[in-house]
Amino acid sequence: MIMMKHLAGALAGVALVGVMATAADAQSRLTRNEIVNSLQRTEGTVGAFDPMALQREAERAAAMGGDNAPGPVSDRLTRLPQLSVEINFDLNSARIRPESYYSVGLIADALHTPALMGQRLLVVGHTDASGPREFNLELSKKRAASVAAALTTTFNVPASEVISIGLGEEQLQDFANPYDAINRRVQIINLGP
Amino acid sequence: MIKAFALSLLIAIGIGSHANAQTIGYADAIQILARDCGSDIEKYCKSANLANSGITNCLAENRQNLAAQCQTSMVQVRNSIAARMKAQNDIWQICNRDAQRFCPMTQRGRGFVLSCLITAERSVSKSCNQAITNAGWR
Repeated sequence: MIMMKHLAGALAGVALVGVMATAADAQSRLTRNEIVNSLQRTEGTVGAFDPMALQREAERAAAMGGDNAPGPVSDRLTRLPQLSVEINFDLNSARIRPESYYSVGLIADALHTPALMGQRLLVVGHTDASGPREFNLELSKKRAASVAAALTTTFNVPASEVISIGLGEEQLQDFANPYDAINRRVQIINLGP
Repeated sequence: MIKAFALSLLIAIGIGSHANAQTIGYADAIQILARDCGSDIEKYCKSANLANSGITNCLAENRQNLAAQCQTSMVQVRNSIAARMKAQNDIWQICNRDAQRFCPMTQRGRGFVLSCLITAERSVSKSCNQAITNAGWR
């Protein structure tokens, strides 16, 4: 039963990614309550999922260098309640672009609802495969941290409830199309209370 | 006569907005800023970050240069956000008796009691319902 619910949560997340990818104005169509529903936990637990261990694993993988990452570093990530959001940054920078302020604000509004109060949120940054693996890893870490910082300062989400990691190109959304824009995303994952 | 009417209208609006504080969330607030101050942000705040209130601080520093609409929106956004934050903070005081009455067995903490009050919309007091609406939790 718990497995089924986890699966449902994962499917909801994937479906949303599909919508985001096809709609040009996807950012303005996402609503706060969609975020709440995607992140809301039914029951069950994320168990001993350790985001920092995953961060170290991605760092080890990226340090092996080479052109492209060979495959995902984690298969557990997709099973957690989550959604992916497209957030635009300045080129090779962690500065969030004004057209993406709304999406970050929506995430904040969702976290301020009773349904998500007191839940810990993991912000995961991803890049596509263009550029060196270690560079991408560092950039994705900075970008995820930038989103987390916006949430916990400007948007008043308790700092104890948000952590961020970056997986660079080590966890592509679509390994068959490593340079596709769908890979450049920020994943928001609910780690539970 | 017209003056008296205008005055009474203002008072009516004032009272109305007190009971029904127009609050907006962060997404709507920041979208208004991005819309009305977008070109000023591009001009004066190219390197400012969203974090640490970087954008609003930068706009405030360049206040005298900003477009009129941007200045107006900044004040409006600040007030609406403050009203919503106040509404979210005030809720325990306003809804305390409703919480004791309608959600006595609900586990405390993590938004459970608030979720209970929202579900019990038809039973809870008018003032508590209004407070929940002002907090943006519908």
